Amino acid sequence: MKNKSNRQKTAEARKEKLLSVLQQHGINIYNDLDQGRFPQFVIPSRSVNNIVYDKKIRQYILGNARAVRSSRNMSQLRSYTQLAWLAFFVNRLVREGKSSTLRDIYYSSQAFSIDFEDQPESDNIIVDLEAVTSSPREEFHIFPEERSSVFGDLTIEYTVPGYEGKRVNLSDHPDGYLIGPSLSSAELVDTSAELVIAIEKGGLFTRFVEENVHKKFKSIIVDTAGQAPRSTRSLLRRLNQELGLPVVILADGDVYGEHIAMVIKSGSANAAHLRELTVPDAKWLGVWATDIEKYKLPTIPMTESDIKRIYDLQKDPRYQEGNWKKQLEVFLKLKRKAELEAFSKYGLTNITDKYLPAKLEESKSL
Amino acid sequence: MSKETFSQISPSEFFYRNRDLAGFSNPTRSLYTSVREFVENALDACDQKKILPDIHLSIKAVDAEQSDPKHYVLTVRDNGPGIDPKHVPHAFGTVLYGSKFGLKQARGMFGLGATMAILYGQITTNKPVTVRSSSDGKTSDEFVMLLDIQKNKPVILKHHVKEAAKTGLSVSIVLEGDYSKAGSKIRDYVSQTSLITPYATITFEDPSGEKFHYPRIVKDMPPPPTIIKPHPHGVDVETMRRMIVDTHYQIPPVDNKMIEKIRKELGQKKNVSAKEILERTQKKWADLSRPVRTVLAVMSFLNVDFEGLQKIRIDDIDVANKKITYWDFGESQTHSVDLDPESPYYKQLSNTVQGDTLVTFLTKRFQRVGPTTAEKFCEFAKFKPERRIGSMTNEELVKLADALQKFEDFLAPDPSCLAPLGEEPLSKGIMKFFNPEFASVLQRSASAYSGFPFIVEMGVAYGGDIPASGLKVYRFANRIPLLYDEGSDVVLKIVNEMDWSRYKIKGDPPLVIVSHICSTRIPYKTVGKENVADRPELERELKNAIQYLARKLAVHMSRQGAADMAKKRANLYAKYVPLISQFATELSGKKKEPNYKQLIKMGSELEEQIQ
Repeated sequence: MKNKSNRQKTAEARKEKLLSVLQQHGINIYNDLDQGRFPQFVIPSRSVNNIVYDKKIRQYILGNARAVRSSRNMSQLRSYTQLAWLAFFVNRLVREGKSSTLRDIYYSSQAFSIDFEDQPESDNIIVDLEAVTSSPREEFHIFPEERSSVFGDLTIEYTVPGYEGKRVNLSDHPDGYLIGPSLSSAELVDTSAELVIAIEKGGLFTRFVEENVHKKFKSIIVDTAGQAPRSTRSLLRRLNQELGLPVVILADGDVYGEHIAMVIKSGSANAAHLRELTVPDAKWLGVWATDIEKYKLPTIPMTESDIKRIYDLQKDPRYQEGNWKKQLEVFLKLKRKAELEAFSKYGLTNITDKYLPAKLEESKSL
Repeated sequence: MSKETFSQISPSEFFYRNRDLAGFSNPTRSLYTSVREFVENALDACDQKKILPDIHLSIKAVDAEQSDPKHYVLTVRDNGPGIDPKHVPHAFGTVLYGSKFGLKQARGMFGLGATMAILYGQITTNKPVTVRSSSDGKTSDEFVMLLDIQKNKPVILKHHVKEAAKTGLSVSIVLEGDYSKAGSKIRDYVSQTSLITPYATITFEDPSGEKFHYPRIVKDMPPPPTIIKPHPHGVDVETMRRMIVDTHYQIPPVDNKMIEKIRKELGQKKNVSAKEILERTQKKWADLSRPVRTVLAVMSFLNVDFEGLQKIRIDDIDVANKKITYWDFGESQTHSVDLDPESPYYKQLSNTVQGDTLVTFLTKRFQRVGPTTAEKFCEFAKFKPERRIGSMTNEELVKLADALQKFEDFLAPDPSCLAPLGEEPLSKGIMKFFNPEFASVLQRSASAYSGFPFIVEMGVAYGGDIPASGLKVYRFANRIPLLYDEGSDVVLKIVNEMDWSRYKIKGDPPLVIVSHICSTRIPYKTVGKENVADRPELERELKNAIQYLARKLAVHMSRQGAADMAKKRANLYAKYVPLISQFATELSGKKKEPNYKQLIKMGSELEEQIQ
């Protein structure tokens, strides 16, 4: 119960802080207009040159470069107005406790004569506002369309309007629960789990539920549905930080799988302007390049772009040492990759019966 | 030995056999070429007499029901000076009869084309040509004629005289043509001719009865070209040989008239001996005229009296080899007599026959060559300045012609033989024709290739009524539109080599280029005279002209761009500032909107900022 009040308190405080930041921007713009000055936004630069890796907090952060978006500049006037509109619209969402999605924002803009050319353009403006306010879009009540799922013995308590105080257990529904705005804002009340398993693919997530992995390994299973969305990464972080559960990651045996694990662990360059989305202690269980040979997994050859991706990642400071570095090298040597489904060759339950326990054992030494 | 028969053919027959060369290869092309020839003759005739041309062209099907190719009546009528009725039958009934042999710019050459068209019409339809001409403005002579192809002579079928109100010429032929195919080219030809001849009124009535009327845009005619001497660079061995031949003081014909003249000058009535004649000559020498001196000099070497002189024909006086060759009618035999260089008559004869000195020849017979240049040239060519050109051997002539080509200190050819349209008429023509948003014209100063002077005139037009369907080039040479064989033309090559994006021209611009090359000899690639070859001198002039105009266009484009930008800017601020105000008002929690009007105004007036 102590957790709950804390959580609610911080959430409340953050909401108030965001609203006051937004209002201050509103007042500044208002005064500029009134006094014949061209209003402008100062945005931390997200250009590649301004993204640096912070070894201390083990994630990418933005440097000190700032960009000015001014209504004085004709070529910026449109995007300035888009940003002003988004601040205005987010203010409404947050005040009224309503949720939206990236796509919804794109469509909502039309009602206000704000013409985004396509959704990537509006997505970009959302990131701009994140940078301006130093708040993740989840705090703006804006969520991605695609959602990943969670399953396991975890009791939560909703805080969304109309459901305040209502509790559910996330093992009640075998398909799992969508990690949406309601779940993201819910309090994490109680769990018997001792482990969180993040898995890349929906198919295996279902298999894990069917195979009672949550019971066998006392775990909460999270489907990341490919590269984990930020709400999912945020949940993983809370499970780790608030409930003290270790997080392990299972992904395909290729360079992309390795990077899915890395992003959960230490964030992405795309979200360098944000904090608190990482799980620095998360462990990548597999599938490692060395597992491909060890477990004699059926493989397919890498494509040109797979290989190019390896070379790219080898320049990333996070891949300069340890297992991360070693696995990249082995992938490059093999020039072949294996999917999680490859274990089916040895029976449908092989991955849960044999591989998972072995890797969990192995991870203890990491 | 094989038996061969050689027979001479008349020029008419030659052209009949080679009509493809002159642009009469098929009914489509022939109809188009005939239109061209008659219209261009009419314009040339008016130009020469400084009459503002009023040309009427009509094409009518003989039987409209028939399908193409079929017989058409082609009539071209002008308000030119007309032709003296005496000359009409020969002018239109003989091939190679014309007055266009001088060195000056004209549309047609030699006046071949019109007769070719008449010939073609007669061949394909067997119908006569009808010519109506009035040269005095009071009476008009109408001739209906056929051409006797073998004899190259006109056959007049009818001739009558009527009253006339004004001078002018009308030619009407019946020919096989294909208007359904040639129509678009003919319409293009007429409209483009009106563009490059803005001082002319041109009316075209097509077979369907539709009238295309192009009234004159300017009232002033450009100054007519003058006939000039050739430039040394433009002369080859053969041309020079001909020039030398007629620079000779010819041996005067010895006929009764000449003998009378000699008797008179010597003051001798009676027949006297050769000896007596020479004695008399020595006494009277100072009073004798040059032809008489020449004949007497010849007589001195042949030692003949007047009677003897009448029996022979002088064939050659070869000063270089000191020989006179003559034909004796009585003996039917050629004789030759040595010239004694010691004789006092030798100098007289050699001066006459050898013609001018090289320096005199160069200064008298070529344009823009003065004595100083001529002397310099002689040194360059390694000929003595006082060398008589009549005494030159064949080899020396070749050497001379070669040196004329290579000597670089001749002044550029005299462009006074050219008749460019002029910037103002060209500009007016372009404005009227295209109604563009921007136009600029340029006349380059005269230049020359191989001794032929030329002038490039060019215009660009942009926007306005011009459709945005990409760049279009209108090519003209000596005020004639060039419509065929566009792809291989030098103008198009130059235009295509331009990097238009450097001049702020992108995509499919509403852009027109009008190019006019004037020259005494346009370097056509083919006999069809539709595409101009790429001479380096010509290329350079075209390039300079187009680059100059493109720069002007670029200035216009950026000015236009700035105006567009200001308008766009005003629109943007008028649209976005109220929106920003609306959002800021709610965001700040205020009730009343801020006073943002001044900011819209400021935004509209801002200069473009460079990021």
